[in-house]
Amino acid sequence: MTMTHGDHATTPLPLVVFADFICPYSYIALDQMEDLQRDYNIELIWRPHWLHPEVPLEGAPLPADGTPDDRRTRTLAWLKEMAPDRVVQMRFPDKIQFSLFAFEALEFAQDHGLALPFKTAVFEALWIEGRDIAQFSTLQATADKVGLDADELGRALTGQRYRNRVRDSLQLARDAGVTKTPTFVMGRYRIAGWHYYEVFQTVMEKQGVPLRSADRQSAGER
Amino acid sequence: MSSCYTPKCVLNEYIVEPAAIPWRLGQVAGITFRCQILLSGGDGGPEALHFRFDPCPSVFAHMHLTSQFQLLLQGRMDFPKSTMKLRSIAVHYTDHNFPYGPFAVAGDHDMLVLHPKQGGLITMADRDARRQINLGGRHLYGAVADTQWADLPEFGGGRSKALIPGAPGPYAIMIEYPPRTPVNLPDALYGRYEVVIAGSVSVSDQTLFPPGFRYVRDGQRVAPLEAGPDGATVMLLAFDQDALEGGLTGEELSVAAAAAMERAI
Repeated sequence: MTMTHGDHATTPLPLVVFADFICPYSYIALDQMEDLQRDYNIELIWRPHWLHPEVPLEGAPLPADGTPDDRRTRTLAWLKEMAPDRVVQMRFPDKIQFSLFAFEALEFAQDHGLALPFKTAVFEALWIEGRDIAQFSTLQATADKVGLDADELGRALTGQRYRNRVRDSLQLARDAGVTKTPTFVMGRYRIAGWHYYEVFQTVMEKQGVPLRSADRQSAGER
Repeated sequence: MSSCYTPKCVLNEYIVEPAAIPWRLGQVAGITFRCQILLSGGDGGPEALHFRFDPCPSVFAHMHLTSQFQLLLQGRMDFPKSTMKLRSIAVHYTDHNFPYGPFAVAGDHDMLVLHPKQGGLITMADRDARRQINLGGRHLYGAVADTQWADLPEFGGGRSKALIPGAPGPYAIMIEYPPRTPVNLPDALYGRYEVVIAGSVSVSDQTLFPPGFRYVRDGQRVAPLEAGPDGATVMLLAFDQDALEGGLTGEELSVAAAAAMERAI
């Protein structure tokens, strides 16, 4: 069934973001996705794509492409061009962190209707507060911040309550051909890698998703 | 250099020996480089530029209004994607109106930028231009060091590496020919650069040394290449139908792109 302009005014367009918390480009996509949700009738769904399943629980050294200073200078310069407002607050981890527990915690938040704020809080714990998201204590403090039961999350993580669900989600990402983060799937369009907000606007228009302000205006005219 | 600068007098073959072409200094947004204009594209034909960027942590994201091969002859180019760290010799391809970067440049950078026609330059800081991005655009790359050799029995002792395999799509194939091998290449319907990477090549009574090249287009038969006395390594960079898209059409974005390119070089 093809949806028309009017359909997406009432039925949200699902927008799936495959992301990993350890990816800075996934982090800087947060603002864009929030803006998109403000401007268009979309249903945002964040799903995991595990960039480094080979990384052990304690983390792994950063890749040795140049000195750590070179790498930081480069990445900062790139991020500054892409998201100047975000980059001033960012702290860069000194290792590649283990993401699996954070994915499990996201499933827990999903079951309690708080996936979107929890996802944002986990990103901020890593990229602003400089915390290690492989630690249960980090995830529990983050859960507490958004109104989730931190003790219950602790029990869920210890008991690996969401392990199979996360495995299924990761398989889903692989089956969908996701190889990089963030990857955005919006109806018949897929964008692999961070992109400009204007590109998302173009995709919305091509799929007949009206601007919310246009809806309000046409409703007023009626 | 065999070329024609009368507008719309497009040749089927262009032969370029860069050693004879002067270098000029350029600067854009604090990024400094040297540049040779090997083919201007002013006749409606191909546009080819030779760049040597000074080390820079971030060359701004931009796009061109035509298909593009970048042939990294020396140095390094690092893109944000963790697997996209180009080390020479490497090839990077983008469709028309497809942005790339920002990227870092280091290590005695030396690169050919090869277009089937004039492509201009659009910085992605231009928010209006972002609405013209080619949503279905392809972004392909490959490096010699990451690609296996395949034997070419038809060229007795020759071998090749498919950095970008094509079929379908644009291709980048590096071929190593034994000395004095005559090389008849297939038609290049949408245009193909044939860049000498090592050794030398004779073509149409000229001898090309690295990074000299020939550009051929359309299905018309062109003179065969012949590997020189020490053999030749040639990079074939062939466009597909995307080469027919875009270009400098006179629209507002094209005018801005052309002006930006002119300022840059």
